[in-house]
Amino acid sequence: MTARLKPPLATRLAERAGRVLEFLWSGWAGLAALFLLAAVWQAGHEAYGPFILTSPQATVAAVWQLAGDSSAWAVAGLTLQRALTGFVLVGGIGVSLGLVAGYSPATMRLAQPLITVLMGVPPIAWIVLAMIWFGGSDATVRTVILVSALPVVFLGAAQGIATRDRGLDRMAQAFGAGPLRRFLTVGLRQTTTTLFPALVLALGTAFKVAVMAELLANAGGIGGALADARINLDIATALAWVLIAVVLLIAVEYTLVHPVKGEIDRWRRAAQPWGVKR
Amino acid sequence: MNVLALHSVEHAYLGRSVLKGIELSVGTSEIVALVGPSGCGKSTLAQVAAGLLEPKSGRIERQYRRHAMIFQDPSLLPWATAAGNIAFGLRLARLPRRQRAARVAEAAALAELEPGDLGKYPVELSGGMRQRVAIARALAVRPDFIYFDEPFTALDVALRRRMQDLVIATCADAGLAGLFITHDLHEAARIAHRVAVLDTYGAGVLGDRPLPGRPGSRSEAQVQDWVGAALSRDPLFRHIHDVDERQIA
Repeated sequence: MTARLKPPLATRLAERAGRVLEFLWSGWAGLAALFLLAAVWQAGHEAYGPFILTSPQATVAAVWQLAGDSSAWAVAGLTLQRALTGFVLVGGIGVSLGLVAGYSPATMRLAQPLITVLMGVPPIAWIVLAMIWFGGSDATVRTVILVSALPVVFLGAAQGIATRDRGLDRMAQAFGAGPLRRFLTVGLRQTTTTLFPALVLALGTAFKVAVMAELLANAGGIGGALADARINLDIATALAWVLIAVVLLIAVEYTLVHPVKGEIDRWRRAAQPWGVKR
Repeated sequence: MNVLALHSVEHAYLGRSVLKGIELSVGTSEIVALVGPSGCGKSTLAQVAAGLLEPKSGRIERQYRRHAMIFQDPSLLPWATAAGNIAFGLRLARLPRRQRAARVAEAAALAELEPGDLGKYPVELSGGMRQRVAIARALAVRPDFIYFDEPFTALDVALRRRMQDLVIATCADAGLAGLFITHDLHEAARIAHRVAVLDTYGAGVLGDRPLPGRPGSRSEAQVQDWVGAALSRDPLFRHIHDVDERQIA
């Protein structure tokens, strides 16, 4: 028997290449869904006319035009930077607090009503408060992202720990693992089931809230560009910016969150039947 | 010489005493089977003895160097391959990666796992194969004492027998000591050197009986005869098949 814990490097590289190709191949399904949305959009355009809803083709043309403008790139980059830093902030704080609450039922009981309060307050109220506190700056956008997405990430991490398989903890303890090693080797890994969907949701919230906060706080970025388009009644440019925000979200989600999830949840694929994998 | 000795051990769960006055010892290279009715506290006793639960009172002397444990549920890490699971105990013991691979191969061979199985995840393995991985994981740390917490209860009869043979070959005949928790007297008679009986309400070990010969050398007829005689004539085993559902937590 060959004494190795992992397959040879060539095999691992081939397996990884296979997974990447499968991931890319699954993009066809996503494209099909997007074209279906475009068809519904086109139907709406034909029903209500270009003043209410510009056609997908005209919107793509407006995006193309914006792509040739360097200042538009700066506008999109500003929103991207704010959304990502807000997401990182909410991820760090939400996961840390959630892990503590997951292990401590008393903390969870204390936090639950606070989470309900946070979820009950509409993001617009936080935008008003953040505008008063920080003005039209990055801090306003990040604060609103943090407050809006924190409950989801917190609960995702807390539920992951609270619903973990205690049998694995007991097994790790039987093999000599102390509390910290049990957390690192067994507990943390089990949070992914609930944490990743929460992070995906938080990322979407980060982009939506960033644009909304920029628009209302007059803080530039895509939200500011949308406000300008509204003033000019330029539907094509407004939709173009919405499309750009969605493309940025999809780009981040599928280049950051899903590859990490795919790597960590590799074992789940082993249980999936062939038709589900592809 | 005893490698494990429990003196006047008591354990309480949520204020209710589930074990009290436990006196039990396991000698060097001896497998002691602990039997008793369902819900009498056998698994709790194993966990207290292994240090997973704190006893309320009493003294536990562990003279062995390293222990391992095999549970009823294999308790495999779903995200790790069979090889990764077997290596888990070694990782916790901070054994260098290079040595780990050799130890995994050695333990997998003892548990009769094929090299092709080692790259599979637990979801890809049958119940019997998962239990083999759990046995290999226990053997990989080269323990001199193994706790078996009803490891084969969930398996079918044929598979259970194969697993028992595996334990006899790798533990009982290999000079390891162990505490084997089971409610199956036939299993106890096949695997152990001695059978101890726990009280229905966990109020002490009622007594023990040595088994003739070595575990691997007993014929099926000898095992059947011993079990038949124990159940029909020995008052120590009178209540081991009693079931009180209220006792089962």
